[in-house]
Amino acid sequence: MNSTHSEHILRSYDQELGRLKGEIARMGEIAVAQIAAAMDVIERRDSRAAERVIANDDAIDQLEASVSNDVLMLLAKRQPMARDLREVMAALRIASDIERIGDYAANLAKRSIALNLTAAIPPVHNLPTLAEAASEMLTDVLKAYRVSDEKMARTVWDRDVDLDSLYTSLFRESLTYMMEDARNITPATHVLFMAKNIERIGDHVTNIAENIWFLVTGQSLDTPRRKADLTSRMEVRPNDTQ
Amino acid sequence: MTETAPTLSAQTLSTVVSQPKLIARNLDFFYQEFLALQDISMEIPEHKVTAIIGPSGCGKSTLLRVFNRIYAIYPKLRACGEVLLDGQNILEPGYSLNRLRSKVGMVFQKPVPFPMSIYENIAYGIRHHERISRSEMDMRVELALRQSALWNEAKDKLKQNALGLSGGQQQRLCIARAIALKPEVILLDEPTSALDPIATGRIEQLVEELKRDFTIVIVTHNMQQAARVSDFTAFMYLGELIEFGGTQTIFTKPTKTQTEDYITGRFG
Repeated sequence: MNSTHSEHILRSYDQELGRLKGEIARMGEIAVAQIAAAMDVIERRDSRAAERVIANDDAIDQLEASVSNDVLMLLAKRQPMARDLREVMAALRIASDIERIGDYAANLAKRSIALNLTAAIPPVHNLPTLAEAASEMLTDVLKAYRVSDEKMARTVWDRDVDLDSLYTSLFRESLTYMMEDARNITPATHVLFMAKNIERIGDHVTNIAENIWFLVTGQSLDTPRRKADLTSRMEVRPNDTQ
Repeated sequence: MTETAPTLSAQTLSTVVSQPKLIARNLDFFYQEFLALQDISMEIPEHKVTAIIGPSGCGKSTLLRVFNRIYAIYPKLRACGEVLLDGQNILEPGYSLNRLRSKVGMVFQKPVPFPMSIYENIAYGIRHHERISRSEMDMRVELALRQSALWNEAKDKLKQNALGLSGGQQQRLCIARAIALKPEVILLDEPTSALDPIATGRIEQLVEELKRDFTIVIVTHNMQQAARVSDFTAFMYLGELIEFGGTQTIFTKPTKTQTEDYITGRFG
């Protein structure tokens, strides 16, 4: 199956489906920009700019509400079938994943304000590497959605394992700083939550990839995903730091 | 387009819990020289609802009409191939039309009650096939009206002319008339296209209840209706059976492009 489907007899139906895709593309662009902006305010330790990033999340929320409304109207008016039905269902789910990604970007900015109240600790400088990986995954999965390429989506899906590994090493590093000096516990805890936020962005990107797979093939991507977030079973002892 | 002959997928087969009631094998049908059905092979499962969909002129109503040989009243129409009802070929000249019509009932697009009382509309057909006592006839009429969900509305006016009923009630009366003969298969040819949404809802509810006792084949232009009421769906185009499978598969992930184009409204 491919993305080049012929047009509907009713042209307004095509326009409505096109509008849905456009809204999601717009949401995705804003989410990518929000992640970059969050990293920028963290690096520059700029709390006022961080407030603006937090406020910008409204734009994503409004677009999500608009997608929900459009889906509701499409279902009521068109009673979509087959590929169209999957297209509408995927749009609804993808919009909700991007909305959550936007929340995580806003959370990153919010925690940066708390982080600015203490001295900077080195693990903060590893956050951009994580964020970049997540942001590239998001950009690529949005491209896969735009061109309905399930194989491209699958490749992005596979990359989440790398993000998990980065997160696991940052987790370990933060714990080490906590053990070295109790004064690091507050900033390191914030960094841990921020890293977790970015790791969660990756998980939402894999959800989007799964929805693209379903949208194109009509089947769920049910191979178990490789996971490299080992932190839930991790124990770091004081002597590990030496 | 070079499409292979439609076959039931493994997934669909696993949902077939009942035996095929009606089987068409390599069925061709001609209106004089015009080939209206071409090499149709399909199995209609017992106690299930099978919907036949497709654009106008695709042969879906013709196929339905072959299933009870109603075409036989017109000259120059002929069917080749086999249609097996419980394993017996109904197209054989030796197969009694009377027997076939009592086993396979049909309801049409426009309700056509006879210009007589509600009671007589049902009793008329029964009398044609069997001799039964007055009290037994009363019971048969009541049963048919109950099965067609018309009893509560009609019980106090059984002697009134059926033409006084509403369109939806008339259609349910036609269904009652068909099931009064205790058929095994009921063919519905666009049974709700002349009805309002409420009457349509009643008929759809009825179809759901009737499949316990009967095998139902419904031709419909309303795709949502096919998706709602049927267990299996056949898509026909230009006299050919393009795809036949579980309704869920046909409406969420059809295997043929032509099916997909038709059900998503892309068909010219």
